[in-house]
Amino acid sequence: MFSKDQLIKHSDYLWEIPKGTRADMRVPAYVYALEEMLDSLMKDRSLQQLINVTTLPGIQKAALVMPDAHEGYGFPIGGIAATAYADGVISPGGIGYDINCGVRLLVSDLYYDQVRTRLEDLAKELYRLVPSGVGRGGKLKLSIPELDDVLADGAEWAVRNGYGTSDDLKFIESHGRLKDANPRCVSDNAKKRGHDQLGTIGAGNHFVEVDRVGKIFNEQAAAAFGLKEGQMVALIHTGSRGLGHQVATDFLKIMSAAMPRYGIILPDRELAGVPFNSEEGQNYFMAMCAAANFAWCNRQIITNEIRTAWKNIMGKNERLRILYDVAHNIAKIEEHRVNGHTRKVIVHRKGATRAFGPDNPEIPEEYKPCGQPVLIPGSMGTASYVLVGTKESMNASFGSTCHGAGRSLSRTAAKKAVNARELKEKLKLKGIHIQAGSDKGIAEEAPIAYKDVDLVVETVHVAGIAKKVAKLIPVAVIKG
Amino acid sequence: MKTIEYLPHLADIRVRIEADTLDELFEAGLKGMTNILKKDFCSSLTEFRIEYNVEIKSNDVTALLVDFLSDVLTKSYVDRMLFCELSVSELTAKSLIATVYGTRADGFDEDIKAITYHEADVKQNNEGKWETLLIFDI
Repeated sequence: MFSKDQLIKHSDYLWEIPKGTRADMRVPAYVYALEEMLDSLMKDRSLQQLINVTTLPGIQKAALVMPDAHEGYGFPIGGIAATAYADGVISPGGIGYDINCGVRLLVSDLYYDQVRTRLEDLAKELYRLVPSGVGRGGKLKLSIPELDDVLADGAEWAVRNGYGTSDDLKFIESHGRLKDANPRCVSDNAKKRGHDQLGTIGAGNHFVEVDRVGKIFNEQAAAAFGLKEGQMVALIHTGSRGLGHQVATDFLKIMSAAMPRYGIILPDRELAGVPFNSEEGQNYFMAMCAAANFAWCNRQIITNEIRTAWKNIMGKNERLRILYDVAHNIAKIEEHRVNGHTRKVIVHRKGATRAFGPDNPEIPEEYKPCGQPVLIPGSMGTASYVLVGTKESMNASFGSTCHGAGRSLSRTAAKKAVNARELKEKLKLKGIHIQAGSDKGIAEEAPIAYKDVDLVVETVHVAGIAKKVAKLIPVAVIKG
Repeated sequence: MKTIEYLPHLADIRVRIEADTLDELFEAGLKGMTNILKKDFCSSLTEFRIEYNVEIKSNDVTALLVDFLSDVLTKSYVDRMLFCELSVSELTAKSLIATVYGTRADGFDEDIKAITYHEADVKQNNEGKWETLLIFDI
C-alpha cells in the first residue's frame, strides 16, 4: 500500500512520487492536490495506477494526476501522460471507454432577470427535445455509409447537414474534426451501437445544464469570451456514446493480444498499449479519432436541439453561440517542451482537459491574447466553472488541467443517502429545475456524491495550470 | 451451484461471482451482467426464443470471461436482446465455444459502457470453487 510519507512535497498543491519508488518506474509522477485531498486519494488505488502509468514505454518527463482524481481503469481518472512520437506507446486506458467525453458551453444574449420565470418551461422543453437516458436513441438513424461520413468529418458533417453554422466550428477544439480519423478502423459492431445515438446525452453523469454566470474572477478573459455576470448560458456534457465504448473494448483486446509481439509487459491489463507507429497502434489511433469525431458531431446536434428549445421558450430571434468545446478523454499529437527541447508527443488525457495558454496557434483568434477556454462541469446543483489555459500549463502539465469534480461517494451509497424527490424539491427551492428520466439518476448524481468542485478548481488556479474566469450557477439540469 | 453478489463501488458496479465449475462461473457472469442491464431479468425469464453462438479466443481464462461478456454485451446492444442461459460446447483456458439463450428486450435499465479487466482474476479458491470479481463500467 502507498503512503503519504513516500511523497515529496514541492508546494501546498504539488507532490512528487520519485522515480525509484517502484523499480519499474521510467519517470517520476506528480500529483496536483491540496494536502486535505491527498487523504481521499490514498483511500483508493489512484496513485498505484499513476505509478503504473510511469512504466509505459516511451513516457516523457512524468505522469501527472489532477486534483479531481479517482481510481479508473488503467490510468486513474484525472491522469495525464505524454509518450514519445512515434515509437512510444499509445494506450486506450489513457483515453477511457468514453472517447472524447467532453464539454461545450453555449452563451445567450439574455440575462437571468429576463428569463427566471421561464426556466421551468425551458427545462421541460429541453427534456422534450434533447433525448436522454439509458438506450434512448435520437431522431437521426444513419446508414453505415452516412455514419462513415460522420466518423470522417465530425462536427463538419453536422454543419454541412444543417445542424449549425460554419462559425460554430471555429470554437471547437480541433474545429470538431480530427483529420487522422479512418472509419474503416471502426468495427461494424461499434457503428451498429452508435448508428441511432447522435444527438443524445445518454445516462450516468452526462447532462445538459442551464446556468447563470455568477462571479467573474478575470475581467480580461471574461471580456474576450463574451461573458458577463448574470448572463444565461448552457452547458453540454456527453461523449461518443456506445460507438466510443465499443472502439475502446475492441482495441483493448487487440492490444492485449499484440503486446507480447512488441515485448511489452505492463502491470495492469487495462493499461494495455502498443507502439504508436505499430499497425495496431495506428489502427487504434485512427479509430479513436473517428470516435472523437462522432462525439463532436453528437455535441453539435445536441447544440441544434438546445437552440430549438431556446427559441421555442425565449423567442424565435434568441441566439446561442458556442463559447468553446473541449474534450477530456482523448489522445492528441502535440508539441511540448521536454528536457529543454520541443518534441512531438502523444498526450493522453483521461479525465483531463486541454488548457493551452495565450498565443497558441490551436486556439481561436479571438481568444489568443488570453488563452484557451477550459470548461469544468460540476455536479448537479453545485457550480460549474470557466477557466483559461496558461503558459504554466504548457510548461508543467503538457497543456492540461482538471476536468470536473470527481466522485467521492458510490452510486449505491448515494442512493441510500438521498431521497430523489426531496432533493428535487430542495433544489427547486434553490432555483434549480431538474428534469430527469428516473429518481435513481437524480440520487446517484446528487451533489453529495461528488468532491467539492470549488476546491478542485482552486487547486489548479493556485497551481497556475488554469486560471479562474467565471463561476456558473445552475438553474436547470436535464439528465437521463 | 453459483452465487452472484453485487458489491459497493465508487463510480461503477462491482460483482463477485462464484461457482462449482468454470462453465457455471461463465453463466454466473452472464446472468450478473444481464441483471444489471435489466433489473432481475434472468430471475423472471423462463422462455428463451433466441440463440446466439459465441466463439472466443483470449490470452488466459480471465480475459476469456471478460471477452465473452463483452461479446454478449455488444450483441445485446446491437440487436436489443438479453441473454440469461449458457450452453458450453468447449471451454479451455484460452478458448470458448458456446451458445447463449435469451429474448428480445424492450429496453434497458442501465447503460454498461464496458466490462473491464480491472480486479478480474478467475481462480479456484480454497474450497475448490471458481471465483472472480467483475467491474462493469457504467
